Amino acid sequence: MGTIIETYQLRKVFKQAEVIKSVNFSLKKGEICALIGKNGAGKSTFFKLLSGQLIPTSGDIQLFGKSGKEMEQAKKRIGFMIEEPAFFPNFTAYQNLEYFRIQRGVVDKKRIHKVLEIVGLAHERKKKFKDFSMGMKQRLGIALCLLSSPDCLVLDEPINGLDPEGIREIRQLLKRLNQENQITILISSHILAELQLLATRFVFIKNGKIVEDLSRTALDEKSKKQIRLVVNHPAKAAQLLERAYPDIQFQILPDQVITIQNHIEVAGEINRLLVENGVDVNEFRTEVLNLEEYFLGQVEGNNND
Amino acid sequence: MINYLKSEHYRLLRKKSLYITSGIGFLLIVAAAAVLHYFPRIDPTFPYATSTFFYSNVVAGWVLIMLFALIFNLALTGKDLSVIKQSVSFGISRNTIYWTKLILTLSYFLLICLVGLLLAISLGENLLNTVEHSVRNFLIACFNMLPIVLSGFFMIHSLRMLNAGESIIIFLMFFIFYLSGNILRALFRFIPGLDELYKYTPNMLLNDNLVKFLNHESAFDYRFWITGFVISALSLLIGVKKFAKKPID
Repeated sequence: MGTIIETYQLRKVFKQAEVIKSVNFSLKKGEICALIGKNGAGKSTFFKLLSGQLIPTSGDIQLFGKSGKEMEQAKKRIGFMIEEPAFFPNFTAYQNLEYFRIQRGVVDKKRIHKVLEIVGLAHERKKKFKDFSMGMKQRLGIALCLLSSPDCLVLDEPINGLDPEGIREIRQLLKRLNQENQITILISSHILAELQLLATRFVFIKNGKIVEDLSRTALDEKSKKQIRLVVNHPAKAAQLLERAYPDIQFQILPDQVITIQNHIEVAGEINRLLVENGVDVNEFRTEVLNLEEYFLGQVEGNNND
Repeated sequence: MINYLKSEHYRLLRKKSLYITSGIGFLLIVAAAAVLHYFPRIDPTFPYATSTFFYSNVVAGWVLIMLFALIFNLALTGKDLSVIKQSVSFGISRNTIYWTKLILTLSYFLLICLVGLLLAISLGENLLNTVEHSVRNFLIACFNMLPIVLSGFFMIHSLRMLNAGESIIIFLMFFIFYLSGNILRALFRFIPGLDELYKYTPNMLLNDNLVKFLNHESAFDYRFWITGFVISALSLLIGVKKFAKKPID
């Protein structure tokens, strides 16, 4: 499987702050890779380094195996949409795309109509970009990405501002592009449930560092269950748990709730341990974690990490 | 580069500001000529209805020309700079973007200046009392102004590409093109060898150009080209170097 994007020890420092910390990342052909992290984690900076909007402090980037000056040519095979799409405010969608069609050397003029149709903007003939809603702007950004028939899309928060119907349409569109046109996709979003339905790989970024890189199967496996219990003495329960299982990962939540992310296979043993040591267990159940819970647990910090 | 040039040309021709700015410039020339043409009818002793006086307004109006260059540049680049990120992410180099935008805006600026010049001459020669050799002197004076105006245009372009605000551009332009002569004269007046440096500053040269034009003594002056070259080279060098590393958000 060919590598589309590869970074080696990629770093970006702004004044004193290291925003991207020695990131090694690779995106393989055919993947839909979700980059997950909260605001300020470094997602957009990472994308801007890939697109050339920012110059790396150190490290190397390869696109389609090309680096340095050769990479400029390889960029033409990638459609980037980073943060809010920027277009000329007094131009219509067609005029904006015509500007980029000329710039990108796309010979077929009909391609504009085709991509506008794909994103559902073909009927907006006279409306100027400045009068577009946020969702329409995002759609036009995706249309621009598709204009030069790329092999890869890099999309930063592409479903921002879209209504649920719009989100569903974009998700279906991206799936279709991946399956039918073999377009590789690197995507970030805060709407994690959407990525869970779309991506085949999940990369978690925290403070400029990749903290987890999982396939869909591994994610399903890792995030499938946790133990949730309600006890009368959470502090005592925590002590007992730590003593019995030194590598235990758990969180103490409000209302005397404790959630345990590992040792799920010995749930009965844990219950017995607590009860035998005088802790009243009022509720004990195993539950399925969704991606968002997994994300919050891993990326926003675990009490017992 | 050709594709980028073509796309920028497509954009430029659809900018209303191109036509509005040019229109205002031409209108001012016509209005000045019309005033000078009609004033003698009200006051027969009015002495300024001559082509020399009319042209001298252009030669003296270099501040206005610089301001026009700034407005023109702002109108053609302005807020559109944010769209550059789409071009950079498509693999178009910053160098290509910098030079293409400069070539295109400069071409249109020079074209409009040329049309304005021809308009001024045709109005001056047809509506006003002509003075012998006034056109020749006017063209020489304009030729002397050219490198200074160009250097101003390059400076504005570089500052715009680096996203400098309008107030910063105006301040720097005012300092370099208007105040520098007096400052250098005051600073170096007691330093032999440097005490003549102020004579090479834009405002001193342009004032000298006006005086010579009014005395019908206009002649080609290489000092304009030295000063123009130095300011242009520095502006472009700093502009290209800084833009090559500039984060584009």
